[in-house]
Amino acid sequence: MSLLFFIASGTLFGWVLSRSGASDYDFIQQMFLFDDIQLYGIIGTAVAVTAPGIWLLRRHGKSLFGHALVLTPKPAHRGNLIGGVMFGVGWAMTGMCPGPVLVNIGEGKMYAVAALVGVLVGTGAFGALYSRLAARLRLPALEVGTGDG
Amino acid sequence: MLILHDLEPYHWAVAGAAIGAMVLALLYITNKRFGVSTGFESACSLVLRATPYFQRDSLRESNPWRLAFLAGLVLGGVLSASLGGGWEPTWDMGMHDTHLGMSEGGKVLWMFSGGALIGFGTRLAGGCTSGHGIFGISNLEKASFVSVAAFMIAGVVVTNVFWRLFVGL
Repeated sequence: MSLLFFIASGTLFGWVLSRSGASDYDFIQQMFLFDDIQLYGIIGTAVAVTAPGIWLLRRHGKSLFGHALVLTPKPAHRGNLIGGVMFGVGWAMTGMCPGPVLVNIGEGKMYAVAALVGVLVGTGAFGALYSRLAARLRLPALEVGTGDG
Repeated sequence: MLILHDLEPYHWAVAGAAIGAMVLALLYITNKRFGVSTGFESACSLVLRATPYFQRDSLRESNPWRLAFLAGLVLGGVLSASLGGGWEPTWDMGMHDTHLGMSEGGKVLWMFSGGALIGFGTRLAGGCTSGHGIFGISNLEKASFVSVAAFMIAGVVVTNVFWRLFVGL
């Protein structure tokens, strides 16, 4: 039952990404070229809605079913900067961030399948190299990870 | 206009508000922190069973909801295309086609390379546009401010150098 809720949430999110330009190669190039405010408007509005919502929910403290809300910040580490730069280059090249890779596949854009294979290879390589990277970059312990989300 | 059937995109305020509402519903109803890229670790954990990083408890416990959410993203794209003019396979890359005219094989290499940077980079940074950009920023997290600044600046620099200097837009 709850899995259906997650599928439905993902579907709604995917639909909005598809119909707003967030999973569109041209709109992403225009965002980075400062030719169009569409994507800045989407992300900015999403934050403008989410930030006060989180503030209110934190004060409330409990989820709908009475559990203590988990709002622990992600760990800060050197990977934020280095990984962020790598991701920025990948986002610019493909015109997709992680959600839109999947949305584009759903839309029938065949090149997105190659992007997904790349994403999975990159993720797999990261996990395989974790202990070595963690020692060099002082990343959090393996049980914690770099930040789930 | 979108590449997808030349559809007119939603106003950014409508799209942003819908995403914010979905993020808050996910938090309030299911107590889950919105984020996409860890879902790719979940996918890897199903195959790479001997890699300790992918078998940590915090990841495996979250696999069911993350994989369901990822499946929803694909479904959202399928529905959007189907109801917006019909689903059909396409290689249309918009302005990339107009200015570069890359072959399908070239696009596969291009997308695989970019995708590998997305996979490695988001997991090293501990999040992407969703987990850092929307949730982390909204929750005023230091790691998210650093990550978002890094990926936005890198994207702006690479895109401007590529299109304005290399292609000559």
